[in-house]
Amino acid sequence: MSGRSLNISRFLTVRAAIVAVLLLVVAVLPLFVTGTDARYVLKVLTFVGINVLIVTGLALLFGYAGQVSLGHAAFYGLGAYASAYVTATLGMPWFVGLAAAIAVTALGGLALAVPSLRLRGHYLAMATLGFGEIMRIVFVEASSITGGPDGFSGIPLPSLGSFVFATPQSIYWLVWGVAALAIMISYNIVSGRPGRSMRALHGSELGAMASGVDLVGLKVRVFVISAVFAGVAGSLYAATVGFVSPSTFTFHFSVVLVAMAVLGGTRSLAGPAAAAILLTLVSFPDIVLPGLSRDILAVVQDWEVDIYALVIILVVLFLPEGIAGAGRRVLGLLRRGVVEPSGSDSGTGQRGDEA
Amino acid sequence: MISSTGLFQGRHGKTVDTPELLQFALAGLKNGSIYALVALGFTIVYASTGVLNFAQGEFVMLGGMLSVWAYSTLGLPLPLAGLLGVLLTGLVGVIFELLAIRPRKDGDPLALIIITVGGSMLLSSLARHLFGPTEKALPRFSEGSVNIFGASLERQSLWIFGIAAVAVVLLTFMYSYTRLGKAMRACAIDRNAARLVGIEPRMMVTLSFGLAAILGGLAGLATTPLTQTAFNVGPSFGVKGFAAAILGGLGNPFAAVLGGLTLGLLESMSVAFISSTYKDAISLIILLLVLFVRPQGLFGGSSRQKV
Amino acid sequence: MSLLEVREVTRRFGGLTAVDNVSFNVPEGEICAVIGPNGAGKSTLFNCLTGFDSPDAGTVTFAGRELVGMRPDRVVRAGVARTFQNTQLFEEMSARENVMVGCHAKTRAGFVSTALRLPWTVKEERLAAEDADRLLRLVGLEEWRDAPAADMPHGLRRLLEIARALATQPHLMLLDEPAAGLNNSETEALAHALYRIRDHGATLVVVEHDMGLVMEVSDQIVVLDRGCKIAEGPPRLIQKDPEVIRAYLGEEDPEDV
Ligand SMILES: Nc1ncnc2c1ncn2[C@@H]1O[C@H](COP(=O)(O)OP(=O)(O)O)[C@@H](O)[C@H]1O
Ligand SMILES: [Mg+2]
Repeated sequence: MSGRSLNISRFLTVRAAIVAVLLLVVAVLPLFVTGTDARYVLKVLTFVGINVLIVTGLALLFGYAGQVSLGHAAFYGLGAYASAYVTATLGMPWFVGLAAAIAVTALGGLALAVPSLRLRGHYLAMATLGFGEIMRIVFVEASSITGGPDGFSGIPLPSLGSFVFATPQSIYWLVWGVAALAIMISYNIVSGRPGRSMRALHGSELGAMASGVDLVGLKVRVFVISAVFAGVAGSLYAATVGFVSPSTFTFHFSVVLVAMAVLGGTRSLAGPAAAAILLTLVSFPDIVLPGLSRDILAVVQDWEVDIYALVIILVVLFLPEGIAGAGRRVLGLLRRGVVEPSGSDSGTGQRGDEA
Repeated sequence: MISSTGLFQGRHGKTVDTPELLQFALAGLKNGSIYALVALGFTIVYASTGVLNFAQGEFVMLGGMLSVWAYSTLGLPLPLAGLLGVLLTGLVGVIFELLAIRPRKDGDPLALIIITVGGSMLLSSLARHLFGPTEKALPRFSEGSVNIFGASLERQSLWIFGIAAVAVVLLTFMYSYTRLGKAMRACAIDRNAARLVGIEPRMMVTLSFGLAAILGGLAGLATTPLTQTAFNVGPSFGVKGFAAAILGGLGNPFAAVLGGLTLGLLESMSVAFISSTYKDAISLIILLLVLFVRPQGLFGGSSRQKV
Repeated sequence: MSLLEVREVTRRFGGLTAVDNVSFNVPEGEICAVIGPNGAGKSTLFNCLTGFDSPDAGTVTFAGRELVGMRPDRVVRAGVARTFQNTQLFEEMSARENVMVGCHAKTRAGFVSTALRLPWTVKEERLAAEDADRLLRLVGLEEWRDAPAADMPHGLRRLLEIARALATQPHLMLLDEPAAGLNNSETEALAHALYRIRDHGATLVVVEHDMGLVMEVSDQIVVLDRGCKIAEGPPRLIQKDPEVIRAYLGEEDPEDV
């Protein structure tokens, strides 16, 4: 018995080591990005980090609580415009813009979540889709605030006090730092009481209610948190790119986000993060394969939408557990190796996640 | 405010007289007929599978695009081109069901939502590869317009009313009097019972997708001469058709038609009296209001979840 | 005073009156059985008692508090737990996690405190896990602790749902057909579990078809037929009640029993 718990703690140490190595890789990556197109590569990697942040919020909402959102691009946009308005138009510091993005998306999430409480499944999906489209129209039409269809330019770079995140490296570290923080927060949430009730909600609403879970409060909270993650991502996006326009915050992007969450798999944070990285890089294959010819690049970009769509359909049909499911299987084998070489039935972890 | 000459005052100070109002109403009914066809498609698939087909709007796009292709590329005469376009759209609906819906045997609603969303994206993207990114037009079925109490109505609008009306009548006839229609209804009510009396539910699901696609295709064919079409018009038709279906009450064909016409009227009246800036937002706002306040629809009975 | 007082509860579905003016009391510490043919309205009655459905008329008083109109999770917090005729487990979660969800009402770690991993939340988690293990032992499921609920055999799933209900620390438990699908030895184990639960201080209301079990465990029986209460009393009397025999056997001759 004591031998086994010793092994389990050894396994946990292995897991912690994996996480530490991953963090280190992400942290030192910019130091190895050199050469003529270093700026471009770092920009793309920063963009990957922004998507990881949004998809982490979607993983909580969709993967853990089982609630669909086809309107997350709208929260991303709300955060971006709120932050842009506060920093560029009002001339406030970036962290005030960030706070505004958080406040506005929290309110937006609340405004959508509360009346949607009765809705589930496809009705909820449609309501979020409708909300997203309305927000997109607002982004276009409320031109005195948003700059209309031409977009909003001249947004200042992110800064903290007198420090301005001016180099591509510092922006990369900022974005990935925030993303890592969001994943850590999410990890704590999903491995504790709130995460358990989210998974219960996903499993059986009746069962969750009969266990004393306040579904109303739970759904609203998860929705708001996931909206705020998208809003923070929006604020980072606006400040790092310096320009936002409505064409970024479309239904199409909402679907791409869902594709990432689906490919990542349910009840996981690592899976969706990996999927966000993979699917974002599909748009930039020249980053992964630097020698790629322009023609191939053009073909890939031309078929990008089809790739996303096929990923969605094929994953749901043939790999419903997504990347996380595959990861769990591998980790299961690994653990059996570490914990019980005999390979007998071992306890599954209590954590809902392998991240 | 109603003045002595019977003028209505719009919010922007623009005045709307009676023929003009009629003009708006007719335009609303014309759009509403299109929405009704799309809403019927939603309803048919929903009744047989319990699934909302998020790709429904793409059938409208395909109906237009394939007809244009048959007309300009194949050089078929317009009636034949339209027929071919609609039938091919129906075929796409069947293939979509066979390839993307049927393999997911457990029918998990969350999974099917996502599959149809992916399907929607795929269909529109494939249409772009096949037919290009530009807008496409089709000649009107008949030129000119008629005068109705001072309002002028394009003859193409009459075609739209006609096509929608015939589709609804045929559908009603099929559901009430043909073996196939009865089988589909039986299946929607109770799958296992249907299987017991020798109806294969899977077949009915496939057929319902085909039928829904044909209805969408008809809508696309009828509206393309007026509004043109392009690979990316699907989602907007889908959302409006769904708003119509939910406004009426999902699952009831008549309610779907009523919902479509009501939505079309509401939309054009709001343009007449409020503003055209947010025209596209109107149906979305109606959609959200209905979802939040009365998800069973205006014409649907109350429903309660069974525990 | 009775722990649970059901007064003139009525629930209609369209033209059908599923529960028709039903009243009864359940004294503290007793096991009360609700029996009746299929469709008699037993599950509907349970739903009305636990906030999953609201009666068209009538009141439900639990320890002096009105339950009608309360949300299901509030009813649980008030001390009334239930199980379902169709088990409502969290299939992908382990048995232990299923029971830990039941601890939800008695724990308080929220999103912020959990996100910050405050020390008291960690301790609360450990205590909840210990609680869950204790309850799994109580219903005899300790060996299934780490197995997903989906992998458990049918009979044991019902026991798991009971353990989850117990985790809410209820004063009153409502069990909807807990023995359905259990074999003889499992039913025997269930009967023991029911006694143990009552000895721990919970009052029980059980919907059950297994007459052997009903006669063995219950102090009081309420008989429903087509929504109406047709009899009420201790098992010995109910067994002989001609109305009850007729309800169960239709028009057949009661002498055959
Ligand atoms: N949500 C509902 N809508 C309509 N009828 C219902 C609903 N729930 C139950 N019923 C009907 O009420 C009657 C009682 O059902 P139920 O309470 O499940 O019976 P029991 O549990 O005693 O077998 C049945 O005729 C059933 O069909
Ligand atoms: Mg029952």
